Amino acid sequence: MNIKTAFSVKPDVQNAVADIKAQLKGFDPTLVVFFASSIFAPDEIAERMEASFPSAETFGCSTAGEIVTGKMLTKSITAMAFNKQAIKDCKVEVIDNLNKESYRAFNAFQRHFGHTMKEMDPGKYVGIILIDGLCCKEELIMDKMGDLTNVSFIGGSAGDDLKFENTFVYANGKSFSHAAVMAILEPATEFSFIKTQSFCELPKKLNVTKANEYTREVLEFNGKPAAVAYAEALGVSMEEAKNRFMHNPVGLVFEGDPFVRSPQQFKGDGMVFYCSVKEGMELSLLESTDIIASTKQAVEDKKTEMGGISGIVNFNCILRTLELGQKGLCEEYGKLFADVPTVGFSTYGEAYIGHINQTATMLVFK
Amino acid sequence: MAGKIKQMIDNIISQRAKDNAMLAGVIKTKLMLKGIDPGKFTPQSPDDAAIIGKLEVLMKEL
Repeated sequence: MNIKTAFSVKPDVQNAVADIKAQLKGFDPTLVVFFASSIFAPDEIAERMEASFPSAETFGCSTAGEIVTGKMLTKSITAMAFNKQAIKDCKVEVIDNLNKESYRAFNAFQRHFGHTMKEMDPGKYVGIILIDGLCCKEELIMDKMGDLTNVSFIGGSAGDDLKFENTFVYANGKSFSHAAVMAILEPATEFSFIKTQSFCELPKKLNVTKANEYTREVLEFNGKPAAVAYAEALGVSMEEAKNRFMHNPVGLVFEGDPFVRSPQQFKGDGMVFYCSVKEGMELSLLESTDIIASTKQAVEDKKTEMGGISGIVNFNCILRTLELGQKGLCEEYGKLFADVPTVGFSTYGEAYIGHINQTATMLVFK
Repeated sequence: MAGKIKQMIDNIISQRAKDNAMLAGVIKTKLMLKGIDPGKFTPQSPDDAAIIGKLEVLMKEL
């Protein structure tokens, strides 16, 4: 086995990291990816994880819940370790000021791999991005990276167990706030992606006629105040519409595949979303379906397509986790990943091609 | 004038995707997320200066 997972629910960092190290004893990782509850001190966990795996690159982030093979957890640390037979090469970089461009990190990747990011083969390399979950810069970063390279970046926004105070990313033994960690991996095996969002498209369209993309606010849909148009599309009062955000988000649908934009709140007659929406976009009203059934199907389909899976890194939206929790389905969701080494976390936003909501994005290794 | 947007979109997709259908789909999705729906533009679409400006920025990155 070239990919192994470990987890610990020990409440102090020192013992939790020692527990993870013990579970990976005898395994020689070149890369360790880890996700940690916000109960753990950021500086200490970054430092201890690096010190515990001195021959490996280590990176990760704080979470709003953790995922490991067969389980959804809270107040834990989960980790996935890769040896040389799983990941031939990797390079981890930090963008420690999100107001600056990502060129510096891309230059570092170029020096390491010997190709410009434009030249890098998207079939050979894959990127992981973990980003401060409270920075509201995800769209800008993903948009810029998408312009500069064909390499796919997948990942999520760090969480802090729904406190919405501070989130952290970890790399090179240090913790960073208002920052992003980017890693380029060269897997030794085939890799692929899952993007699953458990929604069906309703026929109602909402055209964005006035928006402020930088504040993630839509002022008008179809020429009407956004909140009014959203409630009308649902056929309910504005008061009732507020309760439908999680069940009925909107989506930018491309060839039947929705890129979900989740409403956060009504602000006056406008609506604030968890990711930006641009003027001119035509959005479809969505309705939630069965998360367990659709995720199970997505994983099974990928297993069939790839002829087997040796590891999954799962970036699962916190809104999905909350819905699973409300329905008492967290254990069942965890069990969907019982037979494949899996690591992941509940995110404040998901990344795949762009920044999206209420979705699980997964990096899958054959 | 008409048709420039469609022409620019086609150029971007062909230069970036180089006949790779999967990549072409990803690039179309990136354009959608930028607020430019490639499927909406035809050779008859009017030349909208704002959209052309966005596409020019993108072409400089190629």
